Amino acid sequence: MNRKIQQFVFEHKKMVIPIAALLLLGLPFFVTNSYFLHILIMVCIYICLALSLNLVTGYAGQLVLGHAAFYGIGAYAGALLMLKLQVNFFVALLLSAAITGLFGFLLGMPALRLRGDYLAIVTLGFGEIVRLVFVNWKGLTRGPAGLPGIPSPQIFGFTISGRTEFYYLALILALFTIFFMVKLINSGVGMAMQTVKNDEIAAEAIGIQPRKYKIMAFVISSAFAGMIGCFFASYLSYISPTAFVYNTSMTILTMAVLGGLGSIMGSILGASILVIVPEMLRFLNDYRMLIFGALMVFMMIFKPEGFWGAGKRRRNIYKINSEVPDHGSNS
Amino acid sequence: MKKSMATLLSGFMLVGSLFAFGCGSAKSDVIKVGVAVPLTGASAEDGNAIKNGVNLAVKEINAKGGINNKKVELVITDDKGDPSEAATVANKLAQDKSVLAIVGHFNSSCTLAAAPIYNQAGVVSVSPGSSAAAVTKAGPYTFRVITTDAVQGASLMDWAVKDLGYKNIAVLYENTDYGTGLAEVVTKAAGNLNAKIVAEEAYEVGATDFSTALTKVANAKADVIIVGGLYNETALIAKQKNNFGLEKMQIMGVDAIYSDALLKLGGSAAEGIKMTGYFSEVSKDPVSQNFVAKYNEEYKKAPSTYAAYGYDAALVIFESIKNAGTDRKAIGDFMSKLKDLKGATGVNTFDENGDVVKQPLRLIIKDGKFVVTQK
Amino acid sequence: MFLQQMINGITVGGSYALIALGYTMVYGILRIVNFAHGDVFMMGSFFGLFCMQFLGMPYYVAFPIAAIATAIMGIIMERVAYRPIRTADSLTVMISALGVSTFLGNLAMVLWGSGTHAFSNFSGITVSVYRFDNVVLSNIQIGFIVLSVLLMLALYFVVNKTKIGIAMRATSHNIKTAKLMGINTDRIISFTFGIGSALACVAGLLVGIYYDAVYPLIGYSYGLKAFAAAVLGGIGSIPGAMLGGFIMGIVETLGASYISAGYRDAFAFAILIIVLIFRPAGILGKKEIDKV
Repeated sequence: MNRKIQQFVFEHKKMVIPIAALLLLGLPFFVTNSYFLHILIMVCIYICLALSLNLVTGYAGQLVLGHAAFYGIGAYAGALLMLKLQVNFFVALLLSAAITGLFGFLLGMPALRLRGDYLAIVTLGFGEIVRLVFVNWKGLTRGPAGLPGIPSPQIFGFTISGRTEFYYLALILALFTIFFMVKLINSGVGMAMQTVKNDEIAAEAIGIQPRKYKIMAFVISSAFAGMIGCFFASYLSYISPTAFVYNTSMTILTMAVLGGLGSIMGSILGASILVIVPEMLRFLNDYRMLIFGALMVFMMIFKPEGFWGAGKRRRNIYKINSEVPDHGSNS
Repeated sequence: MKKSMATLLSGFMLVGSLFAFGCGSAKSDVIKVGVAVPLTGASAEDGNAIKNGVNLAVKEINAKGGINNKKVELVITDDKGDPSEAATVANKLAQDKSVLAIVGHFNSSCTLAAAPIYNQAGVVSVSPGSSAAAVTKAGPYTFRVITTDAVQGASLMDWAVKDLGYKNIAVLYENTDYGTGLAEVVTKAAGNLNAKIVAEEAYEVGATDFSTALTKVANAKADVIIVGGLYNETALIAKQKNNFGLEKMQIMGVDAIYSDALLKLGGSAAEGIKMTGYFSEVSKDPVSQNFVAKYNEEYKKAPSTYAAYGYDAALVIFESIKNAGTDRKAIGDFMSKLKDLKGATGVNTFDENGDVVKQPLRLIIKDGKFVVTQK
Repeated sequence: MFLQQMINGITVGGSYALIALGYTMVYGILRIVNFAHGDVFMMGSFFGLFCMQFLGMPYYVAFPIAAIATAIMGIIMERVAYRPIRTADSLTVMISALGVSTFLGNLAMVLWGSGTHAFSNFSGITVSVYRFDNVVLSNIQIGFIVLSVLLMLALYFVVNKTKIGIAMRATSHNIKTAKLMGINTDRIISFTFGIGSALACVAGLLVGIYYDAVYPLIGYSYGLKAFAAAVLGGIGSIPGAMLGGFIMGIVETLGASYISAGYRDAFAFAILIIVLIFRPAGILGKKEIDKV
């Protein structure tokens, strides 16, 4: 039975994709439940976040623990552009992405000199500092009071309102992100990033400059997070620093890890599951983060490549010759 | 191959499960009221207190036969104190047409995030805890039974400066929308009353080390500390001030610090703390007394301010439903004209913005209890 | 005021130093950052509270028991979450550590609620205050500083003058060779986790008494700052951790006092980032060369 379905899907790939597309597009027609649509919009947002984190952590191998900061920078940048300078949403979208990308660059530049664990800590510190700036720079961000009244997107005189319309916009942004990531990964740039992740010194030896690709990963990753942050701001019409805390970064990381770092499909599914399942299991709410934590440990021990991860076992990851990591002055 | 199978199955499962969502069957023989408060996260204590207060009101009214002979049922949701979550639960409650009104939210940021959703859907929300100024303009369907920071802050400063004569004010406030809002009000009032702010220190919620701030307060020779925060931190400030020679320092705050936890955590150091408030266990008002007695009986502990606000929010909603029926808009219309409903926190009357108008009491901790005071 | 703030800073620094020791020892041996260490600190203080509140023990009984319980918890944590993946790449290990941290923090919330608990109601310790000029010192502050320094000296002694200390240093130098020399590295690693956790527990108890407050999410903030302290002093170096802890406490306190209280936590992170960028080895650390 299994085989038959698999074969069917595989052979009719050309049909399955358009059908899936139609389903996604037509969804709001037979589901008018705005709560349901809201959940789908959140799924789209988190897909973008998980994919962007996946790029820098899964493909370029840099563990970023402060990803929510980029999300927040994009949200605040977008909100302030729209509120203070009356910038059109779609222009704000691009500008937020650019501004956040700039911050990604600023973080990436110094951070790249560091080894894995140190880099992670620095990104965590960055995340916290950004959050504290949101909270304390009251002149700019109104601090904890947040920014209410962020306008909805407008284009050619048409204002986006209602869950259905926001859903389509979110869907477009998510699909764009997916498309971009797929193209990027399969391009020369993407390959270079992965080479750098697997063995930085060898990459250098064959002429790939690790710094260049790592920075690219940082910039692109943060830009996408910033882009969707801007959308988030407009969608909720209110943002405050509490949306961009450490827990948010952890949640995004869990999504990427669950799905499998280095797998685009993995991030999509990880994000979907970790938005939808906690909603369905609201009675387990108290234990949500508890389960996430245990899940991460479990995944790392038993399935470090994630559930939908790149199944290929890379030899270098598990050092076959020694039982423990080799370090020290004499081997 | 196995992977795409798994992928496909998961996909179907997810989509399929979503249809199980929010299909709220509208049973016409119950009246559903939503509750959206933080049941987990940093504000969980207060969220749970509100939930208890609301539950009590429901028990009482159901014991009397319900509203117009229909029993009241609660739909309780957790906004985790996070605005994005608040938006999610707001969506959930708003689109369930059988939910007639909502008690929520607690944090001002959550109320502000949820307000556009409730207003768009045309369903009322009554906040038992959001005191930020911005909530006033949040929409015609957004009400609150707690006064704004401006009212309580101004009242507190009148007490401190005009009546008690303090001239050098130290403000310690939490770095949240609540704390910063209150600090702003206090600063403005001080300016109007010719008092000086000699120290202004922010702290993170959950901070345990106030030595830095208290050292500065001692150095600045303040004669009163105004706390823009909640009971946990107030208790710690009260205890730690003694380490810096500030045993005699007067601490004052608003109703947010009224809680058993302040007494327990503060112990003898909490003696003498003064606060404005709308609710006190020792109030002679019959509605309050009834509430306190019932709360003690049901939950085996004393109610905090927010439990009382939750109770009042429920009362306001019940009264509106009783008079306006089960149409959401009609309920909203009635509520905007609601006057003089007696609750545990005073008499509730809404102004044109859905803000409640009340005069606070003055309370002091004496012999380990809260009592009303004239000075 | 400056002197008073210095004393405040040193006191806070003492707690950072004790926690930092745990980070530095584990990093020295396994080259991993035990993100969960801050939560170990938190659990330690809760264990103490539990012993005093529910088991009614007086503080001088509760504290050693809590320390032992925390040490055991640390050892179990290593067995369950770190040993199986010791051979994996550092990304995997870090994520697992994050998972443990999240788990512990939220476990405490589930068990004890997110509210704050007071120690003084149960510990039977009372505060007395001494005054000199305009500097105030409490007996707890003194006890805090003295105890921190004593424990650090004790640790230093153990590591540098005892046999097991030699084994620890050998293992941190090169695990494979240590094994070849007949050292049971697994046991040494467990021992390291145990001691680090016990020290964190003491820090937790001291913090609980001094501030008279303990709550589940306290581990995150202390943990991060203590880690920053360890890095500042030179991660892998025990004297470095002590030095880093005190410096961190002082800088944070002075910063909050003279610059801005709201950004208090940011100072720790700012220091961390600056140190890592300009001198990753820290003050007392050694430069490490990446072998090809």
